[in-house]
Amino acid sequence: MHVPDGFLSPLVTLPAYAAATPLWALGVRRHFGSAQVEALPVLGSLTAVAFVIQTLMIPIPGGTSTHLLGVPLLALRYGPLAAFVAESLVLVLQALLLGAGGVTVLAVNALAMGLIGPSAGWLLHRVLRPVHAGAAAFLGAAVALPVAAAVVAGVLGLQQRLDPSYFPGPLPVVAAALLLPAVLAGLLEGAYTLVAMRLLGRVRGGAGA
Amino acid sequence: MAARALDARRSRWLLLAWAVAIFALSAVTDPGTLAVLAVVAGAVFARGAGAVLRRVLVTVVPFVALLVGASWAWMRLVVGVAPDGQAYAALVLRAALLAFVTFAVMRRVDLLGALAGWPTASRLAVLTLAQVHALRLVATESWQGLQSRLPRRPGAVDAVRGAGGVTGALLTLSTRNAREVTDALRSRGF
Repeated sequence: MHVPDGFLSPLVTLPAYAAATPLWALGVRRHFGSAQVEALPVLGSLTAVAFVIQTLMIPIPGGTSTHLLGVPLLALRYGPLAAFVAESLVLVLQALLLGAGGVTVLAVNALAMGLIGPSAGWLLHRVLRPVHAGAAAFLGAAVALPVAAAVVAGVLGLQQRLDPSYFPGPLPVVAAALLLPAVLAGLLEGAYTLVAMRLLGRVRGGAGA
Repeated sequence: MAARALDARRSRWLLLAWAVAIFALSAVTDPGTLAVLAVVAGAVFARGAGAVLRRVLVTVVPFVALLVGASWAWMRLVVGVAPDGQAYAALVLRAALLAFVTFAVMRRVDLLGALAGWPTASRLAVLTLAQVHALRLVATESWQGLQSRLPRRPGAVDAVRGAGGVTGALLTLSTRNAREVTDALRSRGF
């Protein structure tokens, strides 16, 4: 659900960068520093898997596309800041290598898909995990996508209010187009995360054997 | 032919100029001004412009045009009136111009050299690019495996059927690969 370059004005993109920059610094220091020798390669691998998953985008009406994220898995395993930095890396690679998304909209996309959506999933996962771990993983990941889509719709709607010459779709029209595909993709994201959590647990278990 | 990369210092300056330029370009909404700026960008990055333009036309324009077309059609369906096409045309032009400038600059800079002053940034870039490369190899091998198991050319349905297994293999292999990277990092004093 990348917002492409040129769909948002600097009036929206620059404040998003101001909000994202300290969080990037904190996330990189906490999860991607040289002290994280054990976790760093796994984070790199899961980031690369997320890159592959997110490359399969389906354009939808409403100014964006729909696809799986892959990073809610990182949020559930390592916390929302790790997902935020990983998603930002994915977005940088996609923007520079494939021209998907873009650099001016990077902070908006990263905050929506890397932080706010996965944070909602992470919170739900924490609440539900004591009840049922599998259901918590599925629902935590499944909820991340619609939340991220709602944020993207909100930002595009805000842009339309600020200056309709950028993206002319009003919020209700954009939200209607974005949310249903996001809910459906969320179910796939939940299934992927559930299977991936089990697989990673098995690989880890195998390593110790 | 790929343009020769600048040295690290010049790359940093070009990256800074590019960052300012793309935000400035993202503020332009008039299609006429965008067209003039596209000509200017073509003149500034004349060397290799053909290859960059082809890349933009193949990777960015079809996707954005499809997206913008779908949005226009959706607006028409919901609101009942055909929306003004100028803003939609400007969207495609702006996205293409930003991608052209970005791709043209990336051909000229030594990205890893420019990032050398920031070890964490270099480490993140190297690690992720290496993993993406590893995953490309695994995906290619999985696709070849699927082809060899079927008596005919695999179609979309076969790819979807095999996607779960391939994703599982990707995760398992990349996690094992990550363990080797951990050992390599340790042996190099990280």
